[in-house]
Amino acid sequence: MKQWITLFKKEQLEMLRNFKWVWLPLVFIILGMTDPLSSYYMPRIIDAVGGMPEGTVIEMPTPQAAEVLLATVSQLNLLGVLIIVLASMGVIAAERKSGLAAMVLVKPIPIINYVTAKWLNVSLIGCVSLFVGYITGWYYTSVLFGTVSFELFLQSYVIFAIWYTFVLTLTIFFSAIFKVAGVAGFITLTIVISLSILTNIMGDYMIWSPAQLGDSVASLIMVGQLGDGFWLSLSVTVLLVVAMLFGATKILENKELE
Amino acid sequence: MTILAVEQLSKSYNENLAVKDATFQFEQGRCVALLGPNGAGKTTILKMLAGLLKPTTGKIKFQHEKENADLRKYIGYLPQYPVFHDWMTGAEFLQYIGKLTHLSDSKAKQRTIELLDLVGISDAKNRRIGKYSGGMKQRLGIAQAIIHHPKLLLLDEPVSALDPFGRREVLEMIKKLKEDTTILFSTHVLNDAEEVSEDVIIINHGEIKVSNSIEQLRKQHQQAMIYVETNVQEKKQLQEWVNWDVVTDIVFENHSAQIIVSDIELAKQKILREIVEKNISIQKFEVGRTTLEDLFVKVVRG
Repeated sequence: MKQWITLFKKEQLEMLRNFKWVWLPLVFIILGMTDPLSSYYMPRIIDAVGGMPEGTVIEMPTPQAAEVLLATVSQLNLLGVLIIVLASMGVIAAERKSGLAAMVLVKPIPIINYVTAKWLNVSLIGCVSLFVGYITGWYYTSVLFGTVSFELFLQSYVIFAIWYTFVLTLTIFFSAIFKVAGVAGFITLTIVISLSILTNIMGDYMIWSPAQLGDSVASLIMVGQLGDGFWLSLSVTVLLVVAMLFGATKILENKELE
Repeated sequence: MTILAVEQLSKSYNENLAVKDATFQFEQGRCVALLGPNGAGKTTILKMLAGLLKPTTGKIKFQHEKENADLRKYIGYLPQYPVFHDWMTGAEFLQYIGKLTHLSDSKAKQRTIELLDLVGISDAKNRRIGKYSGGMKQRLGIAQAIIHHPKLLLLDEPVSALDPFGRREVLEMIKKLKEDTTILFSTHVLNDAEEVSEDVIIINHGEIKVSNSIEQLRKQHQQAMIYVETNVQEKKQLQEWVNWDVVTDIVFENHSAQIIVSDIELAKQKILREIVEKNISIQKFEVGRTTLEDLFVKVVRG
């Protein structure tokens, strides 16, 4: 256990020193602000720079608070996921490529400690960034468009965070398989995007899909209820996360480190 | 007592055999040099012993452990090109590695100070490793390899990348370390092996050619030799000496000849007399013994 904490602390320190703990939350705050602010100021922006002829009247219905928050969610689901995957795709791959993995794993360290310390660290920074981004979006939405209850926000955040953890576990898994960080990131993103699209177009067959968690976040915000397949997709997601962590461990144990 | 016994160890990549049926063993407390030209398979053997590569076939047995067991806790390993977290300081890295090898916080700190001192980089302990020179990284690499008092220390080309001063210092360090632990280090320089190690394993094209103590090798392979330096014109006269009974072989280089002889006293007298009688001009006349270099060259070429 002490060894695990040592590994975890090192990951934390690394992310502090390379400023990931600064810029990731910052980027997420910007992502969270964008939608409420731009929706609110859109009429004025168009007025000022839209180049419309004099006297044009544009009728824009003021969006509902829930709709604005939903736009923030999809922003975080798209750009947020992209950023977090790119920021963490090298977490194992880069260390293997540089030889640092060999340097460290030649010491008596169970591989599972190495993998899970990195996993928890990456998940932590991902979920914290998501939280600050999402709460920024929620705050501006509440101020500018009317209230969405904090309880609802918190519930939907927890589900959102589980989806993020799943995405980051995928990243770790492929980072353990491939030596080139870019390949790990690319495959992770491809899988996440395909999973989301498939879940959207053939929802009946994909009721188990982890991407259903995203739908549950949406329906929680819009109608205050969880989606149909929530509990099934939650169980599948948790199982997949555990399976991928074990898988990554087994794969690394059998890999030859150079 | 045998600390490590390797039997029929092979490693192949696709079709290529990097190491072929390597069998050797050595005693506890010895310093063993794994000697061979570049690409001979030295690094592959060390990596297999360190558990970084999996042998294709063969057995590695360490003391009382089972065959091919996880030996990581007994082994300290310095790779040929050690890498570090460049954002850490030297002291931080050693403490990190110390704690990973189950030292308590205070013990890791204490050991860090000891080791930084031992390898001579105490002054740079709070500097980021990214700013270290090659020699400093090599020293830090040695420090991290011995932090947990390993029973067997594996050093891959510990002095190859260093300048003459660094080389000298690291060799001295190895001499100090071998008082406490068994060392297996690879090198392509025979002098390094002769200087610090008791045993030598010579490897070429993935096969072990010689495995013996340096003392034995000297006894078996060293021959009496007379070294004569002369000018090019006179060299012809020297060539005839090959026919003498007492001369086994003559190796000519530009201005010199190495005359391998069976009886040094007899040969010395005979050659000196010849030099005087035929009035051969010489610059240098030296009586000595062949070095192990000749054996090494023979093994590598053959």
